[in-house]
Amino acid sequence: MGYKRIKKDQLNAFLRELSKDYAVVLPSRSGGQVVFGPWDGENTDFLDWYKNTVIPPKALFFPPVEEMFRFRKGEEGYEIEELMPDKGQQIIFGIRPCDARALKIIDMLFADTYRDPYYLRRRENSLLIGLGCNEPCDTCFCASLDISPGQSEDVDILCTDTGEDLLIEAISDKGGNLLSRMSGLSDAGSEEESKARELRKSAKERITREINLSGLQERMRSNFENRAYWEKVSKKCMACGICTYVCPTCHCFDINDENRKKEGKRVRNWDSCKFPLFTRMPMENPRHEKWRRMRQRYHHKFEYYPMNFGAIACTGCGRCIRECPVNVDVTEIIGGI
Amino acid sequence: MENRLKEEARKLLKEGKVDYIVGYGNGTVKFRTSPLITNKEEDIESLVINPFIANNLSRYPTEIKGKLGIVVKGCDSRSLVSLMQDNKVNRDDMVILGVPCEGVVDIKKLGEQIGADIDQAKEIDKEGDNLIVQMDGSKKTVPFRDVIFDKCFGCEYPTPLEYDILLGSEVSPRIEIEKSLKKIKEFEDTDAPERWRYWKEQFSKCIRCYACRNVCPACFCERCFVDVNIPQWITTYGSWQDNLVFQLIRTLHVAGRCSDCGECERSCPVGIPLRSLQRKMVEEVKGLFNHETGVDKDAFPVFTHYEATDPEEFIK
Repeated sequence: MGYKRIKKDQLNAFLRELSKDYAVVLPSRSGGQVVFGPWDGENTDFLDWYKNTVIPPKALFFPPVEEMFRFRKGEEGYEIEELMPDKGQQIIFGIRPCDARALKIIDMLFADTYRDPYYLRRRENSLLIGLGCNEPCDTCFCASLDISPGQSEDVDILCTDTGEDLLIEAISDKGGNLLSRMSGLSDAGSEEESKARELRKSAKERITREINLSGLQERMRSNFENRAYWEKVSKKCMACGICTYVCPTCHCFDINDENRKKEGKRVRNWDSCKFPLFTRMPMENPRHEKWRRMRQRYHHKFEYYPMNFGAIACTGCGRCIRECPVNVDVTEIIGGI
Repeated sequence: MENRLKEEARKLLKEGKVDYIVGYGNGTVKFRTSPLITNKEEDIESLVINPFIANNLSRYPTEIKGKLGIVVKGCDSRSLVSLMQDNKVNRDDMVILGVPCEGVVDIKKLGEQIGADIDQAKEIDKEGDNLIVQMDGSKKTVPFRDVIFDKCFGCEYPTPLEYDILLGSEVSPRIEIEKSLKKIKEFEDTDAPERWRYWKEQFSKCIRCYACRNVCPACFCERCFVDVNIPQWITTYGSWQDNLVFQLIRTLHVAGRCSDCGECERSCPVGIPLRSLQRKMVEEVKGLFNHETGVDKDAFPVFTHYEATDPEEFIK
C-alpha cells in the first residue's frame, strides 16, 4: 500500500473515526506538563507544539505504580482477585521513533523466559501511530543509535507532518489493515512523498549530538575497574532517580505487599538503581557508593543488555540529559570511556 | 567576575589551600551550566559565571571530602551558613568565593517570553537590563527581570553573606516581595477544597525520583525517613497521599534551614510547584521565630534551640 495523506485540519475527523473502536491516547497538557493522555475528542493542536513528553510512553505499558492483584484471607485459605489490564484496544498517537524503538527494546525483557502478562497484554492491545520528528531537540542523539528521527520500523503506522498535510504510511500489517478501513484518506502524490523524504533527511542532519559506540563492549569491559574514572564522572551526580524514570528503556521495578489485617494488595512500582535502597529487600545493595550505582546504570544499558538481548538499552531520546538537574550527559560519559 | 574567579581558583589550587574547586562550567545543553568540581588546574579555564548558574553548590560540601573552594550566590551562601550552624560543614574547610547575583535566568520563562523553544536560540547575551536573544535570522530583546526565577524577585540577600573572596561589587537587594509571593498569596485566597484539589493534582504527578530531596543542601539526613523500611513510613509506590506526606515532612524537616534557593522546584521533572510550600514555610518561620535561614551565622538553628524565656502560651 502506498502513502496516504490527510489535511491536518482533518485529523480531528480521522481521530474521531479511530475513537469508535479504540481509546485514543495522544500528547496533551495536563497539570502543567506534556503527557500522553486520553484524547479530549476535540483538540489536535499538539501538532503545533509537541516535541516529546518528559515521562516516556513506557509508562503506558509499564505504569509507575501498578496493582497486580488483591488478596484476602478466607476460611479456606487465600482468595486472590486478579487485576489484569482490561482488554480494551488503544491507539497511541504521536509516539516518536526513539520511543517506539524503546518499546521494542524492553519487549525483549518483558517477553523473555518470564512473560510479563501486564506489560504484554497492554502491548498486544495497542496500536502505535508514530509521528516523525522534523525538528529534533538539542539533546537528541538517536541518529548514533541507528534511529532516524523521521522514520520508524517500530510503529504500526507512521505519520510525517509535511506542513499542511499528514503523510500516512502503513508499517505493519496491523497498521495496513486499519488504514484500509479508514475513510477520508487520499493517496499521496509523488510530490508529497519527496517532501517527506526531504524532511526526514534534514531532520537527521540536524542532529549534532553523538555518542561514540565504536568498540563499545570492549571499552566498557576494560574500563569497569577504572574507579578513578567513575568517581570523577559521578562527582556532580545528585543520585536522584530522574535519569532512570524518564528513560524510555529503564525497566527496574520493586514489588511490595500492602496488608491490612486479613486483606491486602500486591503492588509493583518503578525502582531505580541510582537509589541506595535498590535491591535492599531481597538481600543488600552491593553498590553503596554513588559511583558504583552510576557505573551500574551505564553498564546495564551499554554492556549487559547488549550481552543478554543483543540491543543497546538506549535510543538517544536525550531525556536524561535534558532533565538532569546537574546536566550529567550520557554521551560524555560513554564517550569518555 | 569570571576572570577574577579563575585567577583566585588557580591560586587556591596551586598554593594547596584547597583540594577541590566547586564552581560552574558550561553544560552540554544550550544555555545551561553544570557543576564543575575539579582538582586540576587545567580545568580552571572552563569555570564560568553567567546568568545561568542555577545550581546551589552548597549541596556538595557535606559529600566531598577535603578542603573546598566553593562558588556561592547569595541564597547558596545562606544554605552554607545554615549547614555550619548544624555542624554539618566546617568553615575552616572552605574557601568561599562569593558571587554577587543579579538573578538567575529561568529557561522555561525565557522560552515563553521568546515564544519558542530555547533550543532555537543561537546566542543569549545580557546587555544592561535586557537579555538579547539571537534567533535564526532575528533578534529578540527581553527584559532581564521578566525571565529570572520567582525566588530572585524577592531576594533580600543577593550578595553572599559569608565569603572569603567577593568576586564582584555588591548588588543591592531587589526586594519585590509582593511579586515573589504573588503565586502563594493567590493560592492562599482560594478555599480549602480547592487547595486540596490542587495539591492532589500536583502530587498525583510525582514519580518519587527524590530529586527535590537530593538537590537540597538542607536535606542532609544520613538516612531519609522514606528510605527506612522497618518500620515503613510511607509506601514505596507513589500514591498521591504518600507523595504529599513525603513532601510535607520534608518541608517541616528543612524549616528554618531552607534558604529559598528553589532548587527543589527547578529540578522537579514533572513540574510540581514545590517552592510554594518551602516559601510558605520560610514566611512561617520568620513570623513565628523571627529567624531567617543563614543570615546570622552566630544564631542557633531554630529547631534545635530553646531558651527559658521562649513563649509557651500554646501549652495549656
